[in-house]
Amino acid sequence: MPRLLASALSLRRDPRLLKLPPYLSLLCIVVGVVWLFLLPLDDYSRRTYISENALLPGQVHTYFGGSDQNVFRAYKHETDELAGKGNIEVNDKLESIAKGLGLKVGRQNFTYSSAGNTHSGQNIYAILQAPRGDATEAIVLVAAWKNVKGEPNRSGVPLVLTLARYFKRWSLWSKDIIFLFTPDSIAGPQAWVDAYHDAHDSSRVASLPLKSGALQGAIALDYTRETRFQSVHIVYDGVNGQLPNLDLINSVNHVAGGQMGMGVAIQEMWKHSNSYHDRLQTMLRGMLKQGLGLASGPHSSFIPYHVDAVTLQPFGDGWQDEMAIGRVIEGTFRSLNNLLEHLHQSFFFYFLMQKERFVSIGTYLPSAMLVAANFTIMAIALWVKSGQPEVQKVITEKTETAEEAEKLALPNPHAAMERDLFLPLVLVAACQFAGVVPLYLFNHLSESALIPAFVLFTVLSAILPFLLSNLLHTSATSTTTQQYHLIRSFSLLLLGMFLSSLATLNFSLAFLVGVFSAPLTFVRPCPNSPILKWLSMAVLYILSPTTVVFVASVLPDLDEKVGCGLGEVLRQAAFAWDVTGTYTPVVVWCVWWPAWIVGVVSVLGRPGAGDGKVKNA
Amino acid sequence: MKLSSILRLPALLGAMLLGTAAVVEAEHTSNWAVLVCTSRFWFNYRHLANVLSIYRTVKRLGIPDSQIILMLPDDMACNPRNAFPGTVYSNADRAVDLYGDNIEVDYRGYEVTVENFIRLLTDRVGDEMPRSKRLLTDDRSNILVYMTGHGGNEFLKFQDAEEIGAFDLADAFEQMWEKKRYHEILFMIDTCQANTMYSKLYSPNIIATGSSELDQSSYSHHADNDIGVAVIDRYTYYNLEFLENEVRDTSSKKTVGDLFDSYTYEKIHSNAGVRYDLFPGGAEAARSRLVTDFFGNVQNVEVDGHKNTTLEEDMLALSKTIAALRKKADEEEAISVGKEDTTTTEATKETQNGTLLTHKSQFAKPLTDDNWLVKKLSALGAVVGCAVLWQMGSWLESGQK
Repeated sequence: MPRLLASALSLRRDPRLLKLPPYLSLLCIVVGVVWLFLLPLDDYSRRTYISENALLPGQVHTYFGGSDQNVFRAYKHETDELAGKGNIEVNDKLESIAKGLGLKVGRQNFTYSSAGNTHSGQNIYAILQAPRGDATEAIVLVAAWKNVKGEPNRSGVPLVLTLARYFKRWSLWSKDIIFLFTPDSIAGPQAWVDAYHDAHDSSRVASLPLKSGALQGAIALDYTRETRFQSVHIVYDGVNGQLPNLDLINSVNHVAGGQMGMGVAIQEMWKHSNSYHDRLQTMLRGMLKQGLGLASGPHSSFIPYHVDAVTLQPFGDGWQDEMAIGRVIEGTFRSLNNLLEHLHQSFFFYFLMQKERFVSIGTYLPSAMLVAANFTIMAIALWVKSGQPEVQKVITEKTETAEEAEKLALPNPHAAMERDLFLPLVLVAACQFAGVVPLYLFNHLSESALIPAFVLFTVLSAILPFLLSNLLHTSATSTTTQQYHLIRSFSLLLLGMFLSSLATLNFSLAFLVGVFSAPLTFVRPCPNSPILKWLSMAVLYILSPTTVVFVASVLPDLDEKVGCGLGEVLRQAAFAWDVTGTYTPVVVWCVWWPAWIVGVVSVLGRPGAGDGKVKNA
Repeated sequence: MKLSSILRLPALLGAMLLGTAAVVEAEHTSNWAVLVCTSRFWFNYRHLANVLSIYRTVKRLGIPDSQIILMLPDDMACNPRNAFPGTVYSNADRAVDLYGDNIEVDYRGYEVTVENFIRLLTDRVGDEMPRSKRLLTDDRSNILVYMTGHGGNEFLKFQDAEEIGAFDLADAFEQMWEKKRYHEILFMIDTCQANTMYSKLYSPNIIATGSSELDQSSYSHHADNDIGVAVIDRYTYYNLEFLENEVRDTSSKKTVGDLFDSYTYEKIHSNAGVRYDLFPGGAEAARSRLVTDFFGNVQNVEVDGHKNTTLEEDMLALSKTIAALRKKADEEEAISVGKEDTTTTEATKETQNGTLLTHKSQFAKPLTDDNWLVKKLSALGAVVGCAVLWQMGSWLESGQK
């Protein structure tokens, strides 16, 4: 045993140990990425199940239908006449209808400004008080006048009105039901939910005149088509990649798929054969949406407030009519009505691969964590390396490559070097804080200035490393190898730390940023090999934040033929930042971009003569 | 005196003669039911329906509300989610409203706790506890203990807050036995892994049955799609089916064995268990008990048909003492009368004598057992003589015809 310990201790001093980390880092990245691709297999994903006993989805007969069809047609006629009319006029009509049903009605104005544009409107909502309930809890049914794509919600609004009339007839509600009509799909619901929880900025969003109990769940209806449909698409991505409780999705799936016999789709996978390919595609789409962190429907704003919500979108040509989707909502509401407490049993962190197959955080988290860990491993290795005496300059000059130099000169294992921390700390800190500039810029410029600003920023960000590198080289005391080690070490340490904490909040964003910045682990100053240097530079510039943002904006979208364009991406990002509080820009500009700048600077680095003081331990 | 009563006399006398040393036959004089639901919340509707169904059954078979302890932790009838306010049904046909207008819940809501349940069984309750909340049983009471809820291996959950263990239950029953609080118990439990709950019982005279074995779940029977929840569990459903179809009234001769034989895996979807070993006479004796011995109310009353030896001996001793005291008093009186002859006046003497006389005339004849056998035999002789005379008379009458 003592011998084993001794050999372990001597291993600690072994210089070969320091050669291990790059391979270890590479292994982490490879395992992390391969891990992700294993997830859609049956052995790693699980079938969904209802965890909350109280929900009991699909156990009730639904009676919506029959004469409600006529009521629906009547309301549809009324709302059709409102097409093209102003927000206030529409709300006047909706108010008179809701009041006619005996519901209490409230209105709320909001004005958001983002990228120089003003987004204002008026929400209207009606509260159906539970006849025998105690008004401490409420569930919400949302119909936006326009969906996320800006199409009018032609059937959705009259259907919600019909449901309001129908729900009013039942006496079995234990929670109040709030019917919310918003002029658009993102700003309106956001303003309403903020105000409902008194978390609104009263200069932009008015307070609600009328409230009910704690929100327990919300269903949004995005029903633009006026013909019969085949299946229902469940949209569940929330702001910043937050997801509703899996039980809610399962319940809707159970009611729609199991009880009503209609198809259920997720993540715009209109056809799903449950093959590995389809599962992977569903998961990657989910990851992409989660990584972007944008609001995907009226439900998205509810999720940050821990109100589980989904949007239902009928799609496809089939024989299901409005009453069918009405019954799905009725069944889901009966389930939510059974709840005794907030949905908490099932998962909040998951990837759906198919409507009935998921992986939970315990299974997928190691993937992003491994990718993040690779940076930390390298950072520690560089820190240790920076503390060891440098290879003698005499030998370095004689040898051709750095690798051979390392082979020749085994440093005295007992020697330790004093680390010169000032320059590395200042440089890394400066780069981190410089990230605030693009963050501020892109969220405060007006729409027309966004593209020029982006081009300018791209150029500046490409030149900045050269400037910094020259500054480092020409400064009074030229930067040593040790200092380059430390610069990289600090930068990677921060990156690893940020990404591993981010992985627990928004796995996909952490994973994507981690994969894009993976080369940062391996690039190093290579003054003696121009080929290696320019190759590294090329890789880094291809995977730079600005390039990725640009390429992403021109690449074809999931279902559209052409990309939405740079201007639209920047406008949406600014809107998401200003209205829904999406933090993706922070991660891109304050975590990824600084690490990238430091990475390029270190590739360009020309380590000067080592003047580190060798200290004998 | 009617002839029939005279004819019955010899039998009665015979019994009096022979029955003095006879063993008191095992028999109960009252029936009690402790019906416990341990779960609350809307989705556990079926557990309350289970208990209320059993409640209706024991009431139908004659156990009065005063002898039923009903524990309901939640009020499904008034739950806002109930599509049929004020009712509880245990069948989707909704033929019988179990809540009805005649229901007496003894322990409700948060009163249904493990502590209250054990205090109820062992009668360790404060003075303030009303009689309706007490199990006022004695050593002649048969008790049906029915429990339902969510359970596991050797425990039953009470209201999501606490649980009763199989050992707690066994100890409670043992205390009851020590305190002579029951004659026989039928313990019935419908929960997951129910059979583990009675595995630790060790007190005599208990028949136990449960819905499912270790690691087995108990399942619900069916859901009502308008109420939106399952309305009854399988085990209870098939118990009720038997009780409704086979035990129509208290005169039913169906035995507990018949009831237990009706359990099959196909019906209950779990292995219902029975435990006989605590019962004197084992399975055979236990199985021969009538279902109505536990689910029904017996009308048997304890008549002094048998010779109450204690009382008679006491009476005899008392009479002897009284007689002895009288004798002594008489003697003392005689002496004092002899002494006072010279001193007292005639008037007083007369009055004293008068009172003495009237006093004496009030004396009843004291009981003695001086010649008990002779008395008995003479009485028997007299009765036999009468009978002979009667027979002779009738013989003569018929002879004259």
